[in-house]
Amino acid sequence: MYKTSWGSTLMTIILSLALGAGAILLLGYDPIEAYYQLFRGAFVGKFNIGGVMERFVPLMLTALAFAVSAKVAVFNVGVEGELYLGAIAAAWAGYAFTGLHPLVHIPLCFAVAMVASGAWGAIPGALKAYWKVNEVCVTILMNYVAIYFTSYLVGNPFSARASIPRTPTIEESARLLRILRPSRANIGLFVALGVLVLVWWMLYHTNWGYKLRHVGQNPFFSEYVGIPPKKVMIWGMILSGAIGGLAGAIEVMGIHGHFLDNFSPGIAFDGMLASLIAKNDIRMVPVLSLFLAVLKTGALGMERFTGVPKTLIDTIIAVFILLAAMEGLFAYSRRRSARSSGEEAA
Amino acid sequence: MDGLNEILSLVFNATLVRSTIRAATPILYATLACVLTQQANILNIGIEGIMIFAAFAAVTTSYFAGSWVLGLLAAIITGVVVAAFMAFAHLKAKADIFVVGMGVNMLAIAMTRFLLQRTFGVSGSFHHNDIVPMPRLNFDFGGNALLDTLFNDYSLFEPVGIVLVFVLAFILYKTVWGLRLRSVGLNPLAAETAGINVTFRKFEVMLYSGVLGGIAGAHLSLGYSRMFVENMTNGRGFMGVAAMFFGGANPFWGWIGCLIFGFADSLGSRLQSLGLPSQFILMIPYVVTVVVLTLAMMRKKRAETARKSAI
Repeated sequence: MYKTSWGSTLMTIILSLALGAGAILLLGYDPIEAYYQLFRGAFVGKFNIGGVMERFVPLMLTALAFAVSAKVAVFNVGVEGELYLGAIAAAWAGYAFTGLHPLVHIPLCFAVAMVASGAWGAIPGALKAYWKVNEVCVTILMNYVAIYFTSYLVGNPFSARASIPRTPTIEESARLLRILRPSRANIGLFVALGVLVLVWWMLYHTNWGYKLRHVGQNPFFSEYVGIPPKKVMIWGMILSGAIGGLAGAIEVMGIHGHFLDNFSPGIAFDGMLASLIAKNDIRMVPVLSLFLAVLKTGALGMERFTGVPKTLIDTIIAVFILLAAMEGLFAYSRRRSARSSGEEAA
Repeated sequence: MDGLNEILSLVFNATLVRSTIRAATPILYATLACVLTQQANILNIGIEGIMIFAAFAAVTTSYFAGSWVLGLLAAIITGVVVAAFMAFAHLKAKADIFVVGMGVNMLAIAMTRFLLQRTFGVSGSFHHNDIVPMPRLNFDFGGNALLDTLFNDYSLFEPVGIVLVFVLAFILYKTVWGLRLRSVGLNPLAAETAGINVTFRKFEVMLYSGVLGGIAGAHLSLGYSRMFVENMTNGRGFMGVAAMFFGGANPFWGWIGCLIFGFADSLGSRLQSLGLPSQFILMIPYVVTVVVLTLAMMRKKRAETARKSAI
């Protein structure tokens, strides 16, 4: 059930781009020109490639966080909250500790962020494991709690006393090195890719990962063969939360340099959708995250050069997600075409 | 001491009742929509998207046709169409309802933003004097200030929502239709055996929740306010889902949940105006819901264990 075929994903991508082309044509623009500018806006020039990478990193990490939680059969909608907590924890560690070497300071910030958001992720995990409390509901609610909490922190104890609610700027030693200037892409990209490979390796090539997947597929059988399903489920959620926190930390340390109140426009929800389309398959997560990042970045260039509004691209992405979700749609039409071809043969 | 009293009387007064109801009503309609579908075991997370679409349809129609009734109708039709799409995707095309819901939410935000630009040439928000709002209810209490604050100047759908809570509770718990619907949610196989068309019921209930979602959107843009703002639900649909969970899919308890949300919201904004950090007050409803959910599940688990050991 949790398997994606490259073919059907590709077909959905093509279909949604075709629908988008239809819409662009209806609006009186040239779809080929629009798509050409879209891909130019994403791939030509350091700034544009950097822009794609800048969006890709948080998208991919939050998608990965969601996919990991899905491996233990928990739908972690709370990655957004974990992103916020990780971001503010990293910002605090970034400005509160001074005089550290970057090689100490950066891992320290990551660690603080991952511990904070991992602990946050453990709460819904424990509630689900021990009392079967619906995790979708709990995590949605906890997002609000986390966002209000960071909003309080940034307004009061951690405030920079600036005109906008934000924390003091982090130390230079906690900054992630920028690559592909003048864009804001940074070495967080390599951290993210490293984490992706590490998580994949842990899930599929270690004992621990085997237990994790085992519990996700059948907790009763796990209990029977001596794997404690409750503990493993909570560990899965801690890992998921920690990855979400890392995404927030990279946003702060690589891009903004400080924590800004309400800084994320639902990054983790986009990530969650990327993971959902990938059917939570870790190998497909980076591909779909990259696809979404390309569309979102290229949309700016497309709007600038052809006048096609970039909100149209957001609409196309949503249509793409809906089409990808309706796995029965193609199967349905395939069955029907199979039947009709059978009738022809008869 | 006088200072404290003064602050308390500034925060807690008769207008708090009004602002609680005012803040709770948009959430209430979302809750009722979720209660209906949850009874058939569908988690309608896309209610947020339905509300955004409906709010846009209501404002556009009200602006062009100059009638709030037509605006409401357009909102309801839009809500039903979106809900029908979700039902089709979930029941026929076998999509995960959770993915469909989140997808619809995303589509609603993107598409209304796009349509806002195309239709009115503005981005962000649209307000205009030609938007006809829903009527407000006014009675004559002979100038009694307290009764005036408590019972006057409600938007039409604020009292209607309260009536609807009881109507829905009656339908769900006192009619054959309601019994059958709940049986679909509790045990679809048994319901199927009893001759109930489960898929049809689920589809039907999604359409009704589209109606309620449509009203929620129309109320938000024509009753609660008089404009359309990008992403104007701002999480109210999710709060509706939360209130539904709070009440365990019971309309009455769901309503109580909405009132707690509304109360915390109005209390928070008052405390903020006094210079206190409002964030902790605003957090309360969410924390309370999580705690209530957990307690409910703990009790259920204890009851199950007790039953098992009795056997």
